[in-house]
Amino acid sequence: MTARGTSSRFLQSVLQNGVGRYVCQLKRISLIFSKNAQSSLGARNFIEEGVVDYAKKNPGTVVYISPEPCRIPRLVAEYLNGNVREEKITGKTSQEISDLVTKLTNQSGLDIIRIRKPYHTDSPSIQGQWHPFTNRLPSVGPIRPPGKEAST
Amino acid sequence: RGLRNRGPDRYWKVQELLKNARHFRGRKNRCYSLAVRAVRRAFVYATKGRQLKRRTMRTLWISRIAAATRELGLKYPVLVDNLVKSSVQLNRKVLSDLAINEPRTFQSLAKLAQARQQEGFRAALGSGSEPPGVLSRVVLLQ
Repeated sequence: MTARGTSSRFLQSVLQNGVGRYVCQLKRISLIFSKNAQSSLGARNFIEEGVVDYAKKNPGTVVYISPEPCRIPRLVAEYLNGNVREEKITGKTSQEISDLVTKLTNQSGLDIIRIRKPYHTDSPSIQGQWHPFTNRLPSVGPIRPPGKEAST
Repeated sequence: RGLRNRGPDRYWKVQELLKNARHFRGRKNRCYSLAVRAVRRAFVYATKGRQLKRRTMRTLWISRIAAATRELGLKYPVLVDNLVKSSVQLNRKVLSDLAINEPRTFQSLAKLAQARQQEGFRAALGSGSEPPGVLSRVVLLQ
């Protein structure tokens, strides 16, 4: 729970996404659910209602539906930078699952750890970073302690 | 008598504590009894450090702004006082960032503060019949 004990990263966008064209960072989303269990009821309703609309709205994301005998239904999201995020959707309603899915679509695949600064620039200085000669000509000479001038 | 179950989760509880000690030096990162004390101290320091960080950052900003203003012939309290009087609501973080990355902007802010200071002197030492300065007019937004 210390800053050095936990991992952290700087704020960044994946390859300056959005500066030119926006590319959805979600590569693949797989919905693993069970055909008969009560915990997958929301998942089954979501597949009936919302999945096809979601897939049409996000043409860059592949949606996989895999009904298999499993105790907990899962949503596995894979991103373009290789990160995989798994979310459990046990007992969630169809609306909650669709909200979760939109949240995963809007995320970039970067790790969800402490962000060191809430801002980032590639060009922090416009007028040129300060150096010792910005306000002082080099011909003036080095800075001397005041006692020497008083003595001479 | 001796077959009572003494708790099945000891391994995981120990690992949960040791994971916070993995970056320590020496046996504190391996041995549980030493790690307990070290981790507790680390957390205490982290808690205290959150307050200290705010204080140290502010003193850092103030010393940077003071150095920048002294180079331009002004002093830090004069700069801050006159900027406040001219209703320039820039905080120390932004001022120090400007002083480092935007030296011309900072120079113009220092000149503004100097001008406001001169107006203040004229208003205080003058007779009162002279017109008040431009920068000391307060804008009331309604």
